Amino acid sequence: MTTIAEKSVLDFCLYPPVGEEDWRYAFASAQVKSLETFMLSKAVLQDMASASSFEEALDLLSASEYSSLQGKNLEQINEALLEKRKQVRSLFLDLAVDDGIAELLEARSDFANLRLALRRKLTENPIGVDYSEDGFVKALEFENVFEQENYSPLPIYMREAIEAAVLAYYQNKDIRQIDYAIDAEHFRYIIAKAIALKDDFLVGLFRMRADLTNIRTMLRLKYREAQELCGFVPGGYVDESVLKHCINLDYDSIRAMFFSTPYYELVEAGVNYLVSDKSFLKIEQQCDEHIGGYLSEGMMVTAGSQPVIAYLLLKESEIRKVRLILTAKKNLLDTKLILDRLGE
Amino acid sequence: MQNNVNATRMELLGLRKRVVLAGRGHHLLSEKRDEISRQLIKIARDIGPLRKMVEAELLETSRRFMLARATMEPEDTKAALEIATKKFSLAIKFTSIMSVKVPQLSKEMDGDIICYGFATTSGEMDVALLALERAFDNLIELAEKEKQAHLLATELQMTRRRVNVLEHVVIPELQETIKFIFSKLAEAERDNTSRLMKIADMIRA
Repeated sequence: MTTIAEKSVLDFCLYPPVGEEDWRYAFASAQVKSLETFMLSKAVLQDMASASSFEEALDLLSASEYSSLQGKNLEQINEALLEKRKQVRSLFLDLAVDDGIAELLEARSDFANLRLALRRKLTENPIGVDYSEDGFVKALEFENVFEQENYSPLPIYMREAIEAAVLAYYQNKDIRQIDYAIDAEHFRYIIAKAIALKDDFLVGLFRMRADLTNIRTMLRLKYREAQELCGFVPGGYVDESVLKHCINLDYDSIRAMFFSTPYYELVEAGVNYLVSDKSFLKIEQQCDEHIGGYLSEGMMVTAGSQPVIAYLLLKESEIRKVRLILTAKKNLLDTKLILDRLGE
Repeated sequence: MQNNVNATRMELLGLRKRVVLAGRGHHLLSEKRDEISRQLIKIARDIGPLRKMVEAELLETSRRFMLARATMEPEDTKAALEIATKKFSLAIKFTSIMSVKVPQLSKEMDGDIICYGFATTSGEMDVALLALERAFDNLIELAEKEKQAHLLATELQMTRRRVNVLEHVVIPELQETIKFIFSKLAEAERDNTSRLMKIADMIRA
């Protein structure tokens, strides 16, 4: 029997397996399941998107845990939403029984900080201290580490990412190579770590995210008619060569290339929208929805790390959606655009 | 002016020359005014549709950008956009329209406007930046034409004022003064004639 890390895209129908129950998470699972009931329903988000004004959209949040946003301007709302995200992440750290899982999800902020610091360092700009505080490495440490060019206080995976990014940058002094290298190292690290933790849910999630990131990358490269086929991340179920081959095909043939994968429908919807509206809203919405579906399956596990991780990611997604709707409403964007991004 | 003028024949000749000069200046300035108006109308006709196009393009760009920014995490947006790869330089040279120095802008762009990786950024950001890149040409042309129109309008206003001053103030005043000096000189001539006649009468008597 193949392990989840070795599974190919043909070994499952829509989502990879979510893994076994883990009764060490009984309390945490119960808590997030109760918190899940307070999350905004799809209907509320759609009503907000269809609201006639920013104030009306904000009023619809009055009965939810976002009621504190009432009467605030957009800047204050963005700050409050960041604070909310911080609370959710903090709750996750409290509930995560395995430190490894907590580190794995904290690493997102570390890699974001690392990307910013390296871009500044390699382009000889001031390192600064305006980094995210949510990571494993604290924001203030970044300044010292990069000023002194002594990377030993950083975890090994970050040092490897720095080395890869610096080497990639100095090949042709293209700043995007830093991002490509860090993204690749990030995915390599999280998938390897999830495999080491023997967490099937996380392995499935990260490999699926690698696929969805690569599909979006492929469509973005095709849209830009880019000559260099780079920016793909490793670890997905779909082979990178298939995605590179897709860039040279016409849009109809791209759909056919994904016929035997669980991504066929989302690629079809995303490509159709891209061709008709010259926009990536649909493919991004479909990718979010696909991941949301997998997380919802994870939420159904009675006890385990799955509901806890799923709650964190679903809550973060909800915060992004609230920010999207309120920003769009404040700037008088079309309701159709918002609904296209949120999904029906 | 009439109070300060010396009613002499020299002054009269000088004033007559000035009237001729003012008349020629008025004619030339009127022609300049008409030509500037023609040029201004031509530029204004181009500006209207160009401005609409640029506004639509920028609106689309900002709409896409707002959507992208709202869907991305703030730290990812900051990391993606803080250091740009696109180098942009603008050269200005001046040409002359009816002796008004107007700027001509030419741009030089180097590098790719997409300055970030794909994993943590939204595709809408690509669409917004590519739309902004496309809007640059029209934006620069609009800036050039609007500046030209502004400079020509200022020059037109100044020329029109000069024409009006010549037409309604300088030339009539000079003509009034000429008339005044002429009448003064005629009066002095008549005085002289009557004085001479009186002297002749006295001699004859």
